[in-house]
Amino acid sequence: MTRLAAGALAICLALVAGLIVLIAARGLGYFWQSPIELFELADGTRVLGEVWNWEPRPGGAGRRVRLAVGNRDLTGADFRWIDESEILRRSRPEDAGVFERLEWGKFYGFPAQLLRGDRIAASGAEVWKEIRPLLAEKAEVRARIARLHGGEIDDVNRELERIRIELRQLRRRGLADSERTPILEAEREEYQRRYEAHLVQLRELEDELLAETLVLRAADGSLVRLPAGHAVRAVRANRLRLPQRLGLYASRLAEFLLDDPRESNTEGGIFPAIFGTVMMVFLTSLAVAPFGVLAAIYLREYARDGAFVRLVRISVNSLAGVPSIVFGVFGLGFFVYLVGGSIDQLFYPDRLPAPTFGTGGILWASLTLALLTVPVVIVSTEEGLTSVPRGVREGSFALGATKFETLRRVIVPAALPGVLTGIILAMARAAGEVAPLMIVGMVKLAPSLPIDAHFPFVHLERKFMHLGFHIYDVGFQSPNVEAVQPLVFATALLLILVVLSTNLAAILLRNRLRRKYASSGV
Amino acid sequence: MSKIGLRTALLLGAVLAVAPAAAQKVDLDPGIQPYAAVSGISGNLSSVGSDTLNNLMTLWSEGFRKLYPSVRVQVEGKGSSTAPPALIEGTAQFGPMSRAMKNREADEFEARFGYPPVPMRVAVDALAVYVHKDNPLERLTLAEVDAIFSKNRRCGLAAGIDSWDQLGVGGALDGEPIRLYGRNSASGTYGYFKNVALCKGDFRDTTKEQPGSASVVQGVTEDLSGIGYSGIGYRTSGVRTLVLAAEEGGAYASTEPGDVYSGAYPLARFLYVYVNKPPNEKLEPLSEEFLRFVFSQAGQEIVLKDGYLPLPAAIADQELAKLD
Repeated sequence: MTRLAAGALAICLALVAGLIVLIAARGLGYFWQSPIELFELADGTRVLGEVWNWEPRPGGAGRRVRLAVGNRDLTGADFRWIDESEILRRSRPEDAGVFERLEWGKFYGFPAQLLRGDRIAASGAEVWKEIRPLLAEKAEVRARIARLHGGEIDDVNRELERIRIELRQLRRRGLADSERTPILEAEREEYQRRYEAHLVQLRELEDELLAETLVLRAADGSLVRLPAGHAVRAVRANRLRLPQRLGLYASRLAEFLLDDPRESNTEGGIFPAIFGTVMMVFLTSLAVAPFGVLAAIYLREYARDGAFVRLVRISVNSLAGVPSIVFGVFGLGFFVYLVGGSIDQLFYPDRLPAPTFGTGGILWASLTLALLTVPVVIVSTEEGLTSVPRGVREGSFALGATKFETLRRVIVPAALPGVLTGIILAMARAAGEVAPLMIVGMVKLAPSLPIDAHFPFVHLERKFMHLGFHIYDVGFQSPNVEAVQPLVFATALLLILVVLSTNLAAILLRNRLRRKYASSGV
Repeated sequence: MSKIGLRTALLLGAVLAVAPAAAQKVDLDPGIQPYAAVSGISGNLSSVGSDTLNNLMTLWSEGFRKLYPSVRVQVEGKGSSTAPPALIEGTAQFGPMSRAMKNREADEFEARFGYPPVPMRVAVDALAVYVHKDNPLERLTLAEVDAIFSKNRRCGLAAGIDSWDQLGVGGALDGEPIRLYGRNSASGTYGYFKNVALCKGDFRDTTKEQPGSASVVQGVTEDLSGIGYSGIGYRTSGVRTLVLAAEEGGAYASTEPGDVYSGAYPLARFLYVYVNKPPNEKLEPLSEEFLRFVFSQAGQEIVLKDGYLPLPAAIADQELAKLD
């Protein structure tokens, strides 16, 4: 028996470890820069790219290789299969580089010229010397553009939106001729003027991005012009030494973790998805904890055991078995359409028909998940309450404490580890759940985070991005599915890490509490 | 050929004169106008609908936001069938769809608003039939496609095609059963393929329904004896597209732009964005500018980037006229 149990445990552990190793191995390789190889083929064509994988040719003889060749704007495909038998020569040219672009993905090729305006500033391998400082300078310009977007321009637009709504409000009430209207109009003009000024500033910065042009030569000789400001990185892959390679790895990893996504989520980073996931889990536990704990206390301590309580218990337990998508549909019908729709009618009639709360959002998603996870919290809180020894309870009564005092001072603290276990389980369930969220507020691309620097700072009505959905979206819907596959694994790894670390944090908290109350003598 | 497919072919055929020449690399129709940014555009946009158009909508919003930094666009794509309810409920301004709206859907919309929704054709797609890269099969007629995918074979072949040797494919595939990959029923691609390639017949129960267009391609990539259908924008190096003929003895046409624009490729279709526009009234400026951007050089350039085919200028002009 012991062996059987130990064997079962070993298999479980091996499965989990195997899964994580597989995901990590597939995902983490994505940020590593392999050498760039030039293949000269029997038919005279030259192909430049990174070796992705080798596989045996079907029907026996030889192997073939999949090359990541990039240059989607020239060839329409990011990858190419080549038979080993067609390869005449393989080499690793020193000057070859991979250029990560803001649009159209990677470019593999050689720098031909660097143009400042129309003047040739450098040509051939000389260009490499100029590239690094140039791109750093351009990255700074891009950061300034982003600050302008998110800062001043955003502020002005908020004001414009406020004025627009206020004007509409006046018109709706039939007060369009009131003295407020010209004031608002004047205000609007002022903001409009400021917006135009910022726009001019923005255009200047954008022109700065275009001031220098990299002329790049693909392996087949065709030339591509890349504005220096649209190049994210230029890597001379065959000249990298190990420290540089590691630095590049770290910089790509940092981009992945901290940046916004680009090119329809297939490039850039996934920060909004990380943020959305964590915030949603947090909101869910905030909603589910008091709700579930109070319900459990009532069921265990106050309700008289009878047919009704038993019915409630059975219902709670069956609730735990209801498929999550059903909760999603309920959330859509009840929270989004009914509650959200009514809130819009009552508080935001001026924004209609554009819905504010009457559409999916992080609040509704969190509440839906709270409903989904509430049985877990109720059941484990009840367990915790039951496990408090009868003697402790009676001792408290004997000292003259009322029922409420006993609950508050003795029983709930003693049951706290059980309560927290329930909340931890609920959080783990919430973090991993994707299906119901797809209909109550999770989106492929959310334009802004649910928390920002503008009043009221937390915007619960906003839609959000989620790591789970990001995996689904990039893996199943991305047009360039070959290229983004490693990204899917990297995102999956990250989701696992997020779940692990939220759980770990909750477990540490529980252990601290347990120690605290253990020493208080209960 | 069904009504919808025929109509598409006719419409596409009609613009042959101005369509770009067939070439490996597609260029924009020079008649497409550049986009001129206007002032005072801000606000929120929301798009709910097709997942085929999901990436395209996202790329357009990214491009649009470069011009109007203050605009926020939300993109949700879980299938074309999710677009009409979102338009009716008012939760979205744009309803991207990879098929035309069904009468029932349009009626529901009209019952609510008193006028029909306005379809905007935003890009051209060739629905490709994919096989594994090592599969030697070159060509199929639509009737054969039907006999492969459908259980009731409405397009006319007497017997179903279940294994590769029935198509004359030997080698490693000799005697292997054909494994089918398709889309889930919320998808417009599913609906279009059913209508046009299957003559409105039913898919076989053995079809593996995939949650996304890319996963169809992924499935075929991993399965030597697989066959599946998906938009041309999802092509990868692991699969090959088949050359198709509308009827037995008819001309075969490929997914190359020339064949698609001329209407020779039987599974060419438009991709749509539906909007709620009352007749004789303009859209609100934000939505209108977004659509103008879509039909501009920059917008159609993005169509190319996503792997689809840009509109000919004549069609873009027709669509722009709908905005007035």
